[in-house]
Amino acid sequence: MNNNQPDRHELFLIPEGMSKVSMTKDSKIPNAATFTILKEDHTLANLLRAQLLKNPKVLFAGYKIPHPLEHTFVLKIQTTFETNPLEVLLIEMQTIIRDIMDLNKKFQNQLTLHGLEGGEFGGSRMDF
Amino acid sequence: MNLGDAKGPQVTIRSIDHERKQLSFILWNCDLAVANALRRIMMAEVPTMAIDLVDIEQNSSVLVDEMLSHRLGLIPLTSTNIRDITYTRDCNCAEYCQNCSVVLTLNVRCDSDTNRDVTARDLISTNPNVTPYFSSEEDAGVVICKLRKGQEVRMRCIAKKGTSKEHAKWSPVAAVAFEYDPHNKLRHTTYWVETDALKEWPVGPNGAEEVAPGPDDPFDYKAKPEKFYFVVEGTGVMDPRDIVEKALMLVHAKVVFVVQDLQKLKW
Ligand SMILES: [Zn+2]
Repeated sequence: MNNNQPDRHELFLIPEGMSKVSMTKDSKIPNAATFTILKEDHTLANLLRAQLLKNPKVLFAGYKIPHPLEHTFVLKIQTTFETNPLEVLLIEMQTIIRDIMDLNKKFQNQLTLHGLEGGEFGGSRMDF
Repeated sequence: MNLGDAKGPQVTIRSIDHERKQLSFILWNCDLAVANALRRIMMAEVPTMAIDLVDIEQNSSVLVDEMLSHRLGLIPLTSTNIRDITYTRDCNCAEYCQNCSVVLTLNVRCDSDTNRDVTARDLISTNPNVTPYFSSEEDAGVVICKLRKGQEVRMRCIAKKGTSKEHAKWSPVAAVAFEYDPHNKLRHTTYWVETDALKEWPVGPNGAEEVAPGPDDPFDYKAKPEKFYFVVEGTGVMDPRDIVEKALMLVHAKVVFVVQDLQKLKW
């Protein structure tokens, strides 16, 4: 194909030798860092940003997608001196994991309550 | 931290309509970002099967090969057992194989004097779990093209696993209705108005769920959305319950994947 259409793999595949997440400490602002996360979009970026902002130790959290054709976002975090951006990001991501697991359990309970259980994780759901 | 937050996000199922493939539920005590992540993942990242490659042996129909291939790609294929199929990009094969694809053949020739509709019913699948979706026995299937006497289509279609962020044909949902704050208390919406928004705009479908503010109520600038009304309408390839379930697992997997890499870093 001789056009400038981006390759299909560019949406998903992390290039050889690169890691999903990288961190650059800010050289001027104390307790601040920029995280670059590859092959993710607003779905994850906004989720992390919103969760971080709930933490009182977080002074700043914001994200941007530097280029619309590159599936990457950068997340900037500044915290108080009690902690650091990496630690706080890990803690808040664990919170998200817990919340989502919890939500899934509640969803399953609701299905049972409505007599709608027996899905993919329970049996075959081929009823339509 | 208040007690409301401690319980975490909650979900309440309102109804399920099998015939219309709709699941209606409320997500509450929940962040806008979480609700939106769930919505985005249901639409763009829950994998399904769709025709991705077409080997055309014969096409004497009036539609050009590209047009026909495009139409084939958009046909919903049942994806209930999508977990058994791998992505071609994760597969060891060069182009496609049994583990990462399903072959469907289309072989129709019109020999009668009347025009012949080629529909999704004419697609013969090699895998009983991945076939075109029909809403009922009477459903005639999606029309792919029409043939006149003597015209013929003969092709091999290779269906692959994919997600809708690559191409919308892989989306498991027809629509995800998403509403919050039906009375616009948060003023996230600005209504276009002649004189009075209350008279000119209908109340949203979930208006009865929340108390409408009085005309003299002060604006609560600290309020946040916390109740989200969802209606997930599937295309038929997957049960809407599975779509929600899978979307939740995908949000989880996404975050876990990043955490694993993040743990290797040191401050
Ligand atoms: Zn393969």
